[in-house]
Amino acid sequence: MPELTSRRGLLFGSAAIGAGALLVGCTSNESDDEPAANDQPAADDKPGKQVTIGFAGPQADHGWLNAINDNAKSRAKKYSDVTLEITEGSNDTAAQIGQIETLINKKVDVLVVLPADGKALTQVGLKAMRAGIPVINLDRVFNTPQAYRCWIGGDNYGMGLNAGHYIGEKLKGKSNAKVIELAGLDNLELTKQRTQGFDDALKNYPNIKKVARQAAEFTVESGQAKMAQLLQAQSKFDALWNHDDDQGVGALRAIEQAGRDDFLMVGGAGALSAFQAIKQDSGVLKATVLYPPTMAASAIDLARALGQGNGIGGMAEFEIPASITLYSAVVDKTNVDQYMSTGFK
Amino acid sequence: MTQHASPPRDSTDKVPSTGAPPAWRGLMARADVRTLSLLGVLAVLIIIGGITKPDEFLDTRNLQLVLTQASVIGVVTVGMTFVITSGGIDLSVGAIVALASVWATTVATQEYGFGGILFTAVLVGLGCGLVNGLLIAYGGMVPFIATLAMLASARGLALQITDGKTQIVTIPSVLDLGERDAYVLGVPPLVMVFAVVTIIGWLILNRTTFGRRTVAVGGNAEAARLAGIDVRRQRLYLYLLSGLCCGVAAFLLIVLAGSGQNTNGNLYELDAIAAAIIGGTLLSGGRGTITGSVLGVLIFTTITNIFALNNLQSDVQQIAKGAIIVAAVLVQRRTASTT
Amino acid sequence: MASEPPLLSMSGITKSFPGVRALDGVDLDVQAGEVHCLLGQNGAGKSTLIKVLAGAHQPDTGTIHWRGEAVTLRSPIAAMRLGIATIYQELDLVEHLSVAENVHLGHEPTAAGFVVRGKVARASTAQLLKRLGHPEIDPARLVGELSAAQQQIVSMARALSHDVRLIVMDEPSAALDPDEVDNLFRIVGDLTADGVAVVYISHRLEEIRRIGDRVTVLKDGRAVAGGLPAKTTPTREVVALMTGRNVEYVFPERPTKDVAADKPLLEVRGLARDGEFEPLDLSVRPGEIVGLAGLVGSGRSEILETIYGARKPRAGQVLVDGRALRPGSVRAAVRAGLGLAPEERKAQALLMLESVTRNVSVSSMSRFSRGGWIDRTAELGAARAATRELSLRPDNPNVPVRTLSGGNQQKAVLARWLLRGCRVLLLDEPTRGVDVGARAELYAVVRRLADEGLAVLLVSSEVPEVLGLADRVLVLREGCVVHTAPARELDEHRVLDLVMEGSPAS
Repeated sequence: MPELTSRRGLLFGSAAIGAGALLVGCTSNESDDEPAANDQPAADDKPGKQVTIGFAGPQADHGWLNAINDNAKSRAKKYSDVTLEITEGSNDTAAQIGQIETLINKKVDVLVVLPADGKALTQVGLKAMRAGIPVINLDRVFNTPQAYRCWIGGDNYGMGLNAGHYIGEKLKGKSNAKVIELAGLDNLELTKQRTQGFDDALKNYPNIKKVARQAAEFTVESGQAKMAQLLQAQSKFDALWNHDDDQGVGALRAIEQAGRDDFLMVGGAGALSAFQAIKQDSGVLKATVLYPPTMAASAIDLARALGQGNGIGGMAEFEIPASITLYSAVVDKTNVDQYMSTGFK
Repeated sequence: MTQHASPPRDSTDKVPSTGAPPAWRGLMARADVRTLSLLGVLAVLIIIGGITKPDEFLDTRNLQLVLTQASVIGVVTVGMTFVITSGGIDLSVGAIVALASVWATTVATQEYGFGGILFTAVLVGLGCGLVNGLLIAYGGMVPFIATLAMLASARGLALQITDGKTQIVTIPSVLDLGERDAYVLGVPPLVMVFAVVTIIGWLILNRTTFGRRTVAVGGNAEAARLAGIDVRRQRLYLYLLSGLCCGVAAFLLIVLAGSGQNTNGNLYELDAIAAAIIGGTLLSGGRGTITGSVLGVLIFTTITNIFALNNLQSDVQQIAKGAIIVAAVLVQRRTASTT
Repeated sequence: MASEPPLLSMSGITKSFPGVRALDGVDLDVQAGEVHCLLGQNGAGKSTLIKVLAGAHQPDTGTIHWRGEAVTLRSPIAAMRLGIATIYQELDLVEHLSVAENVHLGHEPTAAGFVVRGKVARASTAQLLKRLGHPEIDPARLVGELSAAQQQIVSMARALSHDVRLIVMDEPSAALDPDEVDNLFRIVGDLTADGVAVVYISHRLEEIRRIGDRVTVLKDGRAVAGGLPAKTTPTREVVALMTGRNVEYVFPERPTKDVAADKPLLEVRGLARDGEFEPLDLSVRPGEIVGLAGLVGSGRSEILETIYGARKPRAGQVLVDGRALRPGSVRAAVRAGLGLAPEERKAQALLMLESVTRNVSVSSMSRFSRGGWIDRTAELGAARAATRELSLRPDNPNVPVRTLSGGNQQKAVLARWLLRGCRVLLLDEPTRGVDVGARAELYAVVRRLADEGLAVLLVSSEVPEVLGLADRVLVLREGCVVHTAPARELDEHRVLDLVMEGSPAS
C-alpha cells in the first residue's frame, strides 16, 4: 500500500512537469509553417522544441513486448528535447483506458499507444484525438483511422508470406516436400494472419504440402509441449515455421530432446537467442522472420516529428505518413550480424 | 414377535465379521468402480488413438512423450489432491510453478549449478506454501481468497524477476536430464520423479496418520477438531505440501523446457483441479484418491496427444476437453450409483 | 370416518438401496383429520417411508391411493400439488433468505409473472405465523437469525402456505422446550380440526399419547402393527413392537459402592463464559455419573464444550486429576483423558464418509502408527474390540458409519473414547435421535463405563434420563446452578419446578 501511494505521488509530480512542458509544446504544435521541416530526418539529433510524449503499452510479460518498452525508452533518452511519460504496462483494457486518460489529462503533446486490445481501446484513441493530442497507434490497430494520426506496425501477413517464400525457395526442386507450422495463440487475429500469409506463399510451390499445424501459446512451455507432439506426429518433414522465437526456445528444446535434425526451421519475431543460433548455424534454426520491436523507436521518432511539426526525412511530404507497415525481413546467416543488436531477450 | 426380529437385521449385515478382506470389499468396490471407469475412459482413448494413428500413437516414443508431458502437471495434481481432500483449494499452483521456475533460473542461481536450481525451486515452492498455509490456517482466510492473492503476487513477482524475458538454462547437467540419453531402461527421469511422487502421495494419503487427518479435516473439520486433531497445523502442512509439489514440478519444467519463464504453469490450477475432480476426489473434501487424480492427468494428456497427432486445432481440442470432463464425470456417477 | 375412503392409503411399499431393503411391503393409511403416529427405531424405515410420501424417493413396488385414486408421486412438487407437505427433522430452510422468502420459496406471489411482490408475501406470512401462535416472528428477518424452535415454526408456515391436506412432521418436538411443545400440539389440534391429517413421528411415547389418534409401528422396514389406538395401547406393548422385546427396566441400577469419599477426577473451578454461564464449580469422581439438567438455553452444552476446551472460558479452571488444563485447547483436554460425545453427532463427531473403524480410531491414531505409518491390522483389531465391547451393530467395523442407526453411531463415538483410554466422558444429549430400545442399551453402556472407573458428566434435556442415569444432579437455569442433589432425592416434578422457577431450595 505505501508503495502504491508513493507511486501515485510520483505520477502527480510528473504531471506538473508535463503541464509545464505543454506551454512550449502547444505553441510549436500549431505552427506547421516551417518550410525547412521536411528536410529534417525524423531522427535528427539536433534539439528542437520540447516534446512530451505519453507512452502506454501492455504488460511486458513477453520478450517482444519488453523489447518494445526498451526501444521506446532508449530512443526517447537519445533526444534532449523529448520527455517520455511511460505508464505501467497493463493487459487489462479498463486499466489501460484509465492510464491513457490520465495521459490525456496531463496534456502530453503526442500519445504513443500499443493497445492490449486495439478494438477495445478505439474510443480512448478518439478521445485523445478530439482533445487535440495526436496519437501514434503502435502495432495493434484501432477500429477507425479517426482514432490515430499515424499507425505504425508490423506485418503479420507479410511475416507468414516471407517465411513461406523463404522455405519455398530452400525446398525448391524437392518433390513432395512436407512442411509443418507451429503457430502462436489461436485466439489472436495476428496468428490467423500469419498462417494465412504462410499458406498463400506456399501456394506458389506446388511441390510443398503443409502437413500439420498446432498452436502453442507464445510461451516456452507450450512451445516445448506442442513441438514434442508435432515431432511425434510427423516422423519425416522438411521444414518448420514457428511463429514466435520465444516459444521457439521450447520448440528447439523439444527438437533437441527428440534428437531430430532432418529439417530446416524458420522462426518469427527476431529474438537474440534466435539470431545467435542462426549465426552459429549448428542446429535446425536457419532463419527468422522479423516483427521488429524497433517499431517502438520509430514511433518515438514519429511522435517527436509530429510534436515538432516535422515530416519524415527522405520523403517529400511536410507531414508524416498516416500509416507505416514495416517490412518483415528474413534474417538468415547472410545478414544476421546486421540485426544482432536489435535482437530482444 | 420378539424372536423373528433378527433375520432382517442380519440381512443388512451380510458381510461376515471375521477377517478383513471380504469386509473391505464393500468400501473397496466403490473405489474400484471409480478407478475402473477411469481406466475405461483411458482405454477408449487409447483405442481411438490406436485406430486413428496406429503408427504414431502406439509407439514407445509416444508413451514416453505422453508420460513426460504428464509429469509436471501430475506432480502438481498430487499436491492439489491433498488440499482438495482436506476441503481446501489451491489456486496458486500455476503461479508458484512460474515463480519457482524463474527464481531457480536467474543468472545468480544458475551459478550454483544443478543443486542450486533444484534447491531454489523447492525452497520457493515451500515458501509460497508456507505463506498460503499461515494465511489460511492461522490467519483465518478462506483458501480460495488466500491462494488467489498468492496467484496474483507470485505471478507479479515472477514477472518482476524476469522482466518478461526468457531465462535460458545453461547448466548441462540440468539440461541433460531432459534428454533421451538420460532415460533409464527407456524411462525418462521426469517420469520417474512423477512415479515416485505418486507412490509417496498414495502411501501418505492411504497409509499414514497424516493422510487420515487430511481426510478427517476435509470430511468434517469440526468433528476432527473435537476428536483432538490439530486442524490448523494440518492445514498448514497441507499447503506446504502443495507448495513442495509445485517446487518439484517447477524443477521438472525447467528440465523439460530448458528455461524459466514467468508465463510457466499457465492455468495449472484449473488443469490440476479438473484432473483431481474427474479422478473422484470430492471438491467438498473428505474423499481423495491419488490413483484417480493421476488417471485424470493421464486422460487429459492422452487427449491432447491424440488431438495433436491427428492435427486437430486448438478450438476443437478445447471443446472436446470440456465434453470429456463432463462425460468422464457422468460415466463415473452412473457406474458408482448402479453398484 | 371409516366409511369414506382414507385420505391416503399406501400399500405394499418396498424400497431397496444398495445392500439394504429399507421398506419391505409397508402399508399405511391415514384418515382426514387424524393424527397418525409413526413409530420405529432408527433404521426401521420411517424416514424412507416419509420420503416416499413426500415424492423424494420412488418406491420399487406398491401403490399409493390419494382420496381413493391411485397416484404416483414423481417428485416433491407432485406431492406438494396434491397437498402433502413434509417438515423434515433437519430443517430445509435457506438461512440467508428472510422468513417470508422462505415461506414462499418456489411459489412467490408475483406481479407480471416474475416480479416478486414482497409486501404481499410478508403480509400472508405474518398471517400464517399468527395462526401458528408466533406473531412475534418478523417475516422480514433472516431465517438464520432465528432460534431452532422459531425456524420450525417457519417450516410449518411454509407447509401451510400451500393448500395442505396432509402434513408429515418428522420429530418436530426434538428441538423444542416444553412450552414450545404445548404450542406445537395446539397447532396440530387446530389443523386436525380443519380436517388436515397429520403424520407424526416422534420418539417420545408420552407425546403420542397426548395427541395421537392411531399408531403404526415400523420395524426393520415392515409395519409390525398398523392403526393401533394411540391413547389406549399400553406403552410396554408399543415398545415391545418396536424393539421386539419387553423393556422392563430402562435404567441400569446404580452401584452400591459410595464414591463420595474418592478424590475427584474432574474438577471445574469458577468456569465462566460471558452470556452463556456464570462461574461454575463442579467435580466428578471416578465411577460417578453427574447429570446437568436444564432447559434449552440454560447453558448446558456450552458448559460441556468449555470444559472440553472447544470454547475458551472467560475465567476459571478445569482440572483433571488435580492438574489444570490449558484453557481453550481441545488437544490438551484430550491428552488429559477427556472425551466428548457432542450433541450434534453428525456435525460434530462423525466422519460420515468414513468407516466405523476410522471413526473409532481417529483420536488414537498414534497408538497404531509408528513414524506416522498406520498398522491397519492393529487398528482394525482395536476398533473391533472397542465396538464389540459396546455391542455395536452391525458387528463389522468396516461398514460406513453413515449406515448405522443413531444409537450405534453414538456407540461408535463412545468406542472412539474407549479406545483412546479416556477417563472423563462428557455426554451431551447422548440419546438424541436414539430410539427407546437402543437407549436402554446405551444407558447400560454408560453405567458400565462408570463402573470401570470413568467419570461421566451428562447433559440432557430429558429430565427422566438425567434422573435415571446420573448419581448426582446439578440443576441449571439461565447459566446458573440452582440446585445440587443426589439423583434419588429428586423427582421429575421437583426438577421441572427448579428449572422453571429457579427457587434454590437446599
